[in-house]
Amino acid sequence: MTAAREAIALPLVFLTVTLLGGLRIADGVALLPPSLFALVLSVLLLGLLVRCGALAPNRLVHASRSFLANVNGLVVMLSAFLASAQAFNVATPESGAPRVLFNLVYLVLLANTIAASPDRARVLRSLLVIFGSAFIVKFIVLSALSHPAEGTVTRALQVLFEGVTLGSVTQDVFHPATGYIAFGTLMLYLFGLVLLPAADRGGLKPAATYRTSLNTNREGNELEE
Amino acid sequence: MVAMRDGVVRGIGLALALGYAALIAWLYVQQPQSAAEVTGGLSAAIGSYRVDPAAFDDGLQFFRRDQFAAARMAFERADPAHQDARVQFYIAYSYYRQGWGRFYQDDTLFAQGLEAVNRAIARAPGGRIRVDDPDLQMRSGEELKAELEAGLERDASDFNPASVLRPRK
Repeated sequence: MTAAREAIALPLVFLTVTLLGGLRIADGVALLPPSLFALVLSVLLLGLLVRCGALAPNRLVHASRSFLANVNGLVVMLSAFLASAQAFNVATPESGAPRVLFNLVYLVLLANTIAASPDRARVLRSLLVIFGSAFIVKFIVLSALSHPAEGTVTRALQVLFEGVTLGSVTQDVFHPATGYIAFGTLMLYLFGLVLLPAADRGGLKPAATYRTSLNTNREGNELEE
Repeated sequence: MVAMRDGVVRGIGLALALGYAALIAWLYVQQPQSAAEVTGGLSAAIGSYRVDPAAFDDGLQFFRRDQFAAARMAFERADPAHQDARVQFYIAYSYYRQGWGRFYQDDTLFAQGLEAVNRAIARAPGGRIRVDDPDLQMRSGEELKAELEAGLERDASDFNPASVLRPRK
Protein backbone atom coordinates (compact mmCIF):
# COMPACT_ATOMS: atom_id res chain seq x y z
CA MET A 1 0.00 0.00 0.00
CA THR A 2 1.38 3.39 -0.94
CA ALA A 3 1.89 6.16 1.60
CA ALA A 4 -0.52 8.41 -0.32
CA ARG A 5 -3.29 5.83 -0.13
CA GLU A 6 -2.75 5.24 3.57
CA ALA A 7 -2.14 8.82 4.67
CA ILE A 8 -4.43 10.76 2.33
CA ALA A 9 -6.94 8.69 0.32
CA LEU A 10 -8.26 6.35 3.03
CA PRO A 11 -8.70 8.98 5.81
CA LEU A 12 -10.36 11.41 3.39
CA VAL A 13 -12.73 8.75 2.04
CA PHE A 14 -13.73 7.55 5.51
CA LEU A 15 -13.99 11.03 7.00
CA THR A 16 -16.22 12.10 4.10
CA VAL A 17 -18.45 9.10 4.86
CA THR A 18 -18.42 10.18 8.53
CA LEU A 19 -19.52 13.68 7.53
CA LEU A 20 -22.19 12.74 4.99
CA GLY A 21 -23.52 9.70 6.87
CA GLY A 22 -25.33 11.91 9.34
CA LEU A 23 -26.68 14.40 6.82
CA ARG A 24 -30.48 14.68 6.70
CA ILE A 25 -32.14 17.36 4.60
CA ALA A 26 -35.78 18.20 5.34
CA ASP A 27 -37.04 21.73 6.16
CA GLY A 28 -33.57 22.40 7.55
CA VAL A 29 -30.28 20.58 7.49
CA ALA A 30 -29.38 18.25 10.35
CA LEU A 31 -26.17 16.34 11.04
CA LEU A 32 -27.01 13.30 13.15
CA PRO A 33 -24.24 11.62 15.14
CA PRO A 34 -24.29 7.80 15.17
CA SER A 35 -26.41 6.05 17.80
CA LEU A 36 -24.76 3.91 20.48
CA PHE A 37 -25.98 0.80 18.72
CA ALA A 38 -24.36 1.97 15.47
CA LEU A 39 -21.06 2.18 17.37
CA VAL A 40 -21.53 -1.39 18.61
CA LEU A 41 -22.30 -2.58 15.08
CA SER A 42 -19.25 -0.71 13.85
CA VAL A 43 -17.01 -2.58 16.29
CA LEU A 44 -18.52 -5.87 15.11
CA LEU A 45 -18.01 -4.91 11.48
CA LEU A 46 -14.37 -3.99 12.05
CA GLY A 47 -13.92 -7.32 13.84
CA LEU A 48 -15.42 -9.05 10.83
CA LEU A 49 -13.15 -7.15 8.43
CA VAL A 50 -10.08 -8.15 10.44
CA ARG A 51 -11.22 -11.75 10.69
CA CYS A 52 -11.84 -12.12 6.97
CA GLY A 53 -8.59 -10.40 6.08
CA ALA A 54 -10.14 -7.30 4.47
CA LEU A 55 -8.33 -5.21 7.07
CA ALA A 56 -4.88 -6.09 8.33
CA PRO A 57 -4.19 -3.98 11.43
CA ASN A 58 -0.54 -5.07 11.46
CA ARG A 59 -0.08 -3.39 8.07
CA LEU A 60 -1.29 -0.13 9.62
CA VAL A 61 0.24 -0.18 13.09
CA HIS A 62 3.36 -2.21 13.78
CA ALA A 63 6.60 -1.86 15.74
CA SER A 64 8.62 -2.08 12.51
CA ARG A 65 6.94 1.03 11.07
CA SER A 66 7.94 4.62 11.75
CA PHE A 67 6.06 6.74 14.31
CA LEU A 68 4.43 8.87 11.60
CA ALA A 69 3.38 5.77 9.65
CA ASN A 70 1.83 4.30 12.79
CA VAL A 71 -0.08 7.53 13.45
CA ASN A 72 -1.35 7.43 9.86
CA GLY A 73 -2.42 3.82 10.39
CA LEU A 74 -4.21 4.74 13.60
CA VAL A 75 -6.03 7.56 11.80
CA VAL A 76 -7.15 5.08 9.10
CA MET A 77 -8.51 2.65 11.71
CA LEU A 78 -10.28 5.38 13.70
CA SER A 79 -11.80 6.93 10.59
CA ALA A 80 -12.87 3.48 9.33
CA PHE A 81 -14.57 2.88 12.70
CA LEU A 82 -16.43 6.22 12.55
CA ALA A 83 -17.34 5.71 8.89
CA SER A 84 -18.73 2.24 9.64
CA ALA A 85 -20.88 3.69 12.41
CA GLN A 86 -22.15 6.41 10.08
CA ALA A 87 -22.78 3.86 7.31
CA PHE A 88 -25.13 2.05 9.70
CA ASN A 89 -26.57 5.41 10.74
CA VAL A 90 -27.42 6.36 7.16
CA ALA A 91 -28.83 2.94 6.27
CA THR A 92 -31.05 2.62 9.36
CA PRO A 93 -34.56 4.13 9.51
CA GLU A 94 -34.85 7.05 11.89
CA SER A 95 -37.65 5.84 14.17
CA GLY A 96 -40.25 3.29 15.09
CA ALA A 97 -40.44 -0.46 14.55
CA PRO A 98 -38.30 -0.42 11.36
CA ARG A 99 -35.38 1.05 13.31
CA VAL A 100 -35.49 -1.70 15.94
CA LEU A 101 -35.94 -4.37 13.28
CA PHE A 102 -33.07 -3.09 11.14
CA ASN A 103 -30.70 -2.99 14.11
CA LEU A 104 -31.61 -6.55 15.06
CA VAL A 105 -31.13 -7.77 11.49
CA TYR A 106 -27.71 -6.06 11.27
CA LEU A 107 -26.66 -7.68 14.53
CA VAL A 108 -27.76 -11.15 13.42
CA LEU A 109 -26.23 -10.78 9.95
CA LEU A 110 -22.89 -9.60 11.32
CA ALA A 111 -22.75 -12.30 14.00
CA ASN A 112 -23.66 -14.92 11.40
CA THR A 113 -21.02 -13.68 8.97
CA ILE A 114 -18.36 -13.65 11.69
CA ALA A 115 -19.29 -17.23 12.61
CA ALA A 116 -19.16 -18.33 8.97
CA SER A 117 -15.60 -16.90 8.53
CA PRO A 118 -15.88 -16.16 4.83
CA ASP A 119 -13.01 -14.68 2.82
CA ARG A 120 -12.49 -10.98 1.99
CA ALA A 121 -14.31 -10.99 -1.35
CA ARG A 122 -17.36 -12.72 0.08
CA VAL A 123 -17.54 -10.35 3.06
CA LEU A 124 -17.34 -7.32 0.78
CA ARG A 125 -20.05 -8.75 -1.47
CA SER A 126 -22.15 -9.52 1.61
CA LEU A 127 -21.75 -5.94 2.88
CA LEU A 128 -22.80 -4.62 -0.52
CA VAL A 129 -25.97 -6.70 -0.29
CA ILE A 130 -26.65 -5.69 3.36
CA PHE A 131 -26.22 -1.96 2.80
CA GLY A 132 -27.87 -2.07 -0.64
CA SER A 133 -30.97 -3.82 0.72
CA ALA A 134 -31.15 -1.48 3.71
CA PHE A 135 -30.89 1.52 1.38
CA ILE A 136 -33.70 0.23 -0.85
CA VAL A 137 -36.00 -0.47 2.10
CA LYS A 138 -35.29 2.85 3.84
CA PHE A 139 -35.09 5.30 0.97
CA ILE A 140 -37.48 3.68 -1.51
CA VAL A 141 -40.01 1.45 0.30
CA LEU A 142 -40.39 3.26 3.64
CA SER A 143 -40.04 6.65 1.98
CA ALA A 144 -42.90 5.81 -0.41
CA LEU A 145 -45.06 4.66 2.52
CA SER A 146 -44.29 7.79 4.53
CA HIS A 147 -44.51 10.39 1.77
CA PRO A 148 -47.79 12.33 1.80
CA ALA A 149 -49.97 10.77 -0.89
CA GLU A 150 -51.46 12.90 -3.67
CA GLY A 151 -54.69 11.13 -4.66
CA THR A 152 -57.67 10.76 -2.31
CA VAL A 153 -57.73 6.95 -2.59
CA THR A 154 -53.99 6.70 -2.01
CA ARG A 155 -54.28 9.03 0.96
CA ALA A 156 -57.12 6.94 2.40
CA LEU A 157 -55.03 3.77 1.96
CA GLN A 158 -52.09 5.47 3.62
CA VAL A 159 -54.23 6.55 6.61
CA LEU A 160 -55.57 2.99 6.84
CA PHE A 161 -52.01 1.60 6.77
CA GLU A 162 -50.93 4.04 9.48
CA GLY A 163 -53.92 3.04 11.58
CA VAL A 164 -53.20 -0.68 11.21
CA THR A 165 -49.52 -0.24 12.09
CA LEU A 166 -50.32 2.32 14.84
CA GLY A 167 -48.05 4.78 13.03
CA SER A 168 -44.98 2.78 13.98
CA VAL A 169 -43.79 2.18 10.41
CA THR A 170 -44.03 5.60 8.77
CA GLN A 171 -40.94 7.78 8.91
CA ASP A 172 -40.05 11.46 8.72
CA VAL A 173 -40.05 12.62 5.12
CA PHE A 174 -36.71 13.92 3.86
CA HIS A 175 -35.80 15.98 0.82
CA PRO A 176 -35.03 13.70 -2.17
CA ALA A 177 -31.42 14.93 -2.08
CA THR A 178 -30.95 13.00 1.19
CA GLY A 179 -31.44 9.70 -0.65
CA TYR A 180 -28.95 10.58 -3.39
CA ILE A 181 -26.37 11.70 -0.82
CA ALA A 182 -26.96 8.51 1.20
CA PHE A 183 -26.43 6.39 -1.91
CA GLY A 184 -23.17 8.17 -2.71
CA THR A 185 -22.07 7.86 0.92
CA LEU A 186 -22.65 4.11 1.05
CA MET A 187 -20.87 3.57 -2.27
CA LEU A 188 -17.95 5.67 -1.06
CA TYR A 189 -17.83 3.64 2.16
CA LEU A 190 -17.71 0.33 0.28
CA PHE A 191 -15.02 1.77 -2.00
CA GLY A 192 -13.04 2.69 1.11
CA LEU A 193 -13.36 -0.87 2.41
CA VAL A 194 -11.95 -2.19 -0.87
CA LEU A 195 -8.98 0.18 -0.51
CA LEU A 196 -8.13 -1.04 3.01
CA PRO A 197 -4.86 -2.97 3.35
CA ALA A 198 -5.77 -6.65 3.22
CA ALA A 199 -4.07 -9.48 5.07
CA ASP A 200 -1.51 -11.28 2.93
CA ARG A 201 -2.93 -14.76 2.46
CA GLY A 202 -1.19 -15.62 -0.78
CA GLY A 203 -4.38 -15.08 -2.72
CA LEU A 204 -5.99 -18.17 -1.20
CA LYS A 205 -9.36 -18.30 0.47
CA PRO A 206 -9.40 -19.40 4.12
CA ALA A 207 -11.25 -22.63 3.30
CA ALA A 208 -8.81 -23.34 0.43
CA THR A 209 -5.86 -22.53 2.69
CA TYR A 210 -7.20 -25.04 5.22
CA ARG A 211 -7.57 -27.73 2.57
CA THR A 212 -4.13 -27.00 1.19
CA SER A 213 -2.55 -27.27 4.63
CA LEU A 214 -4.41 -30.56 5.22
CA ASN A 215 -3.15 -31.90 1.87
CA THR A 216 0.38 -30.75 2.66
CA ASN A 217 0.25 -32.53 6.01
CA ARG A 218 -1.13 -35.66 4.39
CA GLU A 219 1.55 -35.60 1.69
CA GLY A 220 4.17 -34.97 4.34
CA ASN A 221 2.94 -37.98 6.32
CA GLU A 222 2.91 -40.14 3.20
CA LEU A 223 6.47 -39.12 2.42
CA GLU A 224 7.53 -39.97 5.97
CA GLU A 225 5.87 -43.36 5.66
CA MET B 1 14.93 10.35 -1.18
CA VAL B 2 11.92 8.03 -1.44
CA ALA B 3 11.76 7.78 2.37
CA MET B 4 11.82 11.57 2.64
CA ARG B 5 9.04 11.90 0.05
CA ASP B 6 7.00 9.29 1.95
CA GLY B 7 7.52 11.26 5.15
CA VAL B 8 6.28 14.46 3.49
CA VAL B 9 3.21 12.68 2.07
CA ARG B 10 2.45 11.13 5.46
CA GLY B 11 2.87 14.49 7.21
CA ILE B 12 0.60 16.27 4.74
CA GLY B 13 -1.94 13.44 4.98
CA LEU B 14 -1.95 13.58 8.77
CA ALA B 15 -2.42 17.37 8.80
CA LEU B 16 -5.22 17.08 6.22
CA ALA B 17 -6.98 14.30 8.13
CA LEU B 18 -6.76 16.10 11.47
CA GLY B 19 -7.98 19.38 9.94
CA TYR B 20 -10.85 17.62 8.17
CA ALA B 21 -11.80 15.71 11.35
CA ALA B 22 -11.80 18.98 13.33
CA LEU B 23 -14.05 20.58 10.68
CA ILE B 24 -16.46 17.65 10.83
CA ALA B 25 -16.59 17.80 14.65
CA TRP B 26 -17.25 21.55 14.46
CA LEU B 27 -20.05 21.04 11.90
CA TYR B 28 -21.71 18.38 14.06
CA VAL B 29 -21.56 20.65 17.13
CA GLN B 30 -22.70 23.85 15.37
CA GLN B 31 -25.31 22.25 13.06
CA PRO B 32 -25.21 25.06 10.46
CA GLN B 33 -28.31 25.39 8.28
CA SER B 34 -26.80 27.02 5.22
CA ALA B 35 -23.52 27.61 3.40
CA ALA B 36 -23.56 31.19 4.76
CA GLU B 37 -23.69 29.83 8.31
CA VAL B 38 -20.74 27.53 7.58
CA THR B 39 -18.53 30.29 6.18
CA GLY B 40 -19.75 32.82 8.75
CA GLY B 41 -19.17 30.39 11.59
CA LEU B 42 -15.66 29.62 10.37
CA SER B 43 -14.79 33.30 10.00
CA ALA B 44 -16.29 33.99 13.45
CA ALA B 45 -14.08 31.24 14.85
CA ILE B 46 -11.01 33.12 13.64
CA GLY B 47 -12.49 36.49 14.65
CA SER B 48 -12.93 37.93 11.17
CA TYR B 49 -16.74 37.94 10.97
CA ARG B 50 -18.34 41.38 10.58
CA VAL B 51 -21.98 42.46 10.49
CA ASP B 52 -23.06 44.66 7.58
CA PRO B 53 -23.68 48.01 9.41
CA ALA B 54 -25.82 49.54 6.64
CA ALA B 55 -28.17 46.55 6.56
CA PHE B 56 -28.32 46.58 10.36
CA ASP B 57 -29.33 50.27 10.39
CA ASP B 58 -32.01 49.54 7.79
CA GLY B 59 -33.28 46.75 10.01
CA LEU B 60 -33.40 49.03 13.05
CA GLN B 61 -35.39 51.63 11.16
CA PHE B 62 -37.93 49.03 9.99
CA PHE B 63 -38.06 47.61 13.52
CA ARG B 64 -38.86 51.00 15.05
CA ARG B 65 -41.63 51.55 12.49
CA ASP B 66 -43.13 48.14 13.49
CA GLN B 67 -42.38 46.69 10.04
CA PHE B 68 -41.12 43.48 11.52
CA ALA B 69 -40.98 41.22 8.46
CA ALA B 70 -38.97 43.86 6.58
CA ALA B 71 -36.77 44.38 9.65
CA ARG B 72 -35.98 40.68 9.81
CA MET B 73 -35.05 40.62 6.13
CA ALA B 74 -32.61 43.48 6.70
CA PHE B 75 -31.22 41.81 9.83
CA GLU B 76 -30.75 38.59 7.84
CA ARG B 77 -28.74 40.57 5.30
CA ALA B 78 -26.71 42.11 8.09
CA ASP B 79 -25.95 38.80 9.78
CA PRO B 80 -26.46 35.99 7.24
CA ALA B 81 -24.47 33.50 9.33
CA HIS B 82 -26.46 34.16 12.56
CA GLN B 83 -23.24 34.83 14.43
CA ASP B 84 -23.91 38.26 15.94
CA ALA B 85 -25.67 38.23 19.32
CA ARG B 86 -27.08 41.77 19.01
CA VAL B 87 -28.64 41.19 15.59
CA GLN B 88 -30.12 37.89 16.77
CA PHE B 89 -31.53 39.71 19.81
CA TYR B 90 -33.31 42.21 17.57
CA ILE B 91 -34.62 39.40 15.37
CA ALA B 92 -36.03 37.69 18.48
CA TYR B 93 -37.51 40.97 19.65
CA SER B 94 -39.19 41.50 16.26
CA TYR B 95 -40.82 38.08 16.56
CA TYR B 96 -41.99 39.00 20.07
CA ARG B 97 -43.52 42.32 19.03
CA GLN B 98 -45.12 40.89 15.91
CA GLY B 99 -46.51 37.88 17.75
CA TRP B 100 -47.76 39.82 20.76
CA GLY B 101 -51.52 40.30 20.96
CA ARG B 102 -53.84 41.75 23.58
CA PHE B 103 -56.02 38.62 23.55
CA TYR B 104 -53.58 35.92 22.43
CA GLN B 105 -49.95 35.40 21.36
CA ASP B 106 -48.93 33.90 18.04
CA ASP B 107 -47.21 30.68 19.11
CA THR B 108 -45.39 30.19 15.82
CA LEU B 109 -43.78 33.64 15.95
CA PHE B 110 -42.99 33.27 19.65
CA ALA B 111 -41.33 29.90 19.02
CA GLN B 112 -39.20 31.44 16.26
CA GLY B 113 -38.39 34.31 18.63
CA LEU B 114 -37.31 31.84 21.29
CA GLU B 115 -35.06 30.11 18.78
CA ALA B 116 -33.48 33.45 17.85
CA VAL B 117 -32.97 34.59 21.46
CA ASN B 118 -31.37 31.24 22.28
CA ARG B 119 -29.00 31.82 19.36
CA ALA B 120 -28.28 35.33 20.67
CA ILE B 121 -27.49 34.00 24.15
CA ALA B 122 -25.30 31.23 22.71
CA ARG B 123 -23.31 33.73 20.60
CA ALA B 124 -22.92 36.36 23.34
CA PRO B 125 -19.66 36.34 25.30
CA GLY B 126 -20.33 34.43 28.53
CA GLY B 127 -23.94 33.93 27.43
CA ARG B 128 -24.80 37.46 28.63
CA ILE B 129 -26.41 39.82 26.16
CA ARG B 130 -27.47 43.36 26.97
CA VAL B 131 -28.71 45.87 24.38
CA ASP B 132 -28.92 49.48 25.57
CA ASP B 133 -31.66 50.71 23.31
CA PRO B 134 -34.14 53.20 24.89
CA ASP B 135 -36.83 51.95 22.49
CA LEU B 136 -36.83 48.53 24.15
CA GLN B 137 -38.42 47.67 27.49
CA MET B 138 -36.52 44.38 27.73
CA ARG B 139 -32.82 44.91 27.28
CA SER B 140 -31.34 41.57 28.30
CA GLY B 141 -31.52 38.15 26.69
CA GLU B 142 -32.90 36.64 29.89
CA GLU B 143 -35.87 39.05 30.06
CA LEU B 144 -36.77 38.49 26.42
CA LYS B 145 -36.40 34.75 26.72
CA ALA B 146 -38.59 34.62 29.84
CA GLU B 147 -41.26 36.72 28.12
CA LEU B 148 -41.26 34.50 25.03
CA GLU B 149 -41.41 31.33 27.13
CA ALA B 150 -44.24 32.75 29.22
CA GLY B 151 -46.12 33.55 26.01
CA LEU B 152 -45.77 29.95 24.87
CA GLU B 153 -47.03 28.45 28.14
CA ARG B 154 -50.63 27.47 28.71
CA ASP B 155 -51.88 28.05 32.26
CA ALA B 156 -54.77 29.49 34.27
CA SER B 157 -53.39 33.03 34.02
CA ASP B 158 -54.27 32.97 30.29
CA PHE B 159 -57.93 33.25 31.33
CA ASN B 160 -57.37 36.22 33.63
CA PRO B 161 -59.38 39.13 32.11
CA ALA B 162 -56.86 41.60 33.53
CA SER B 163 -54.21 40.21 31.18
CA VAL B 164 -55.93 42.15 28.39
CA LEU B 165 -54.53 45.30 29.98
CA ARG B 166 -50.90 44.18 29.97
CA PRO B 167 -48.67 46.34 27.79
CA ARG B 168 -46.48 45.24 24.91
CA LYS B 169 -42.88 45.58 25.96
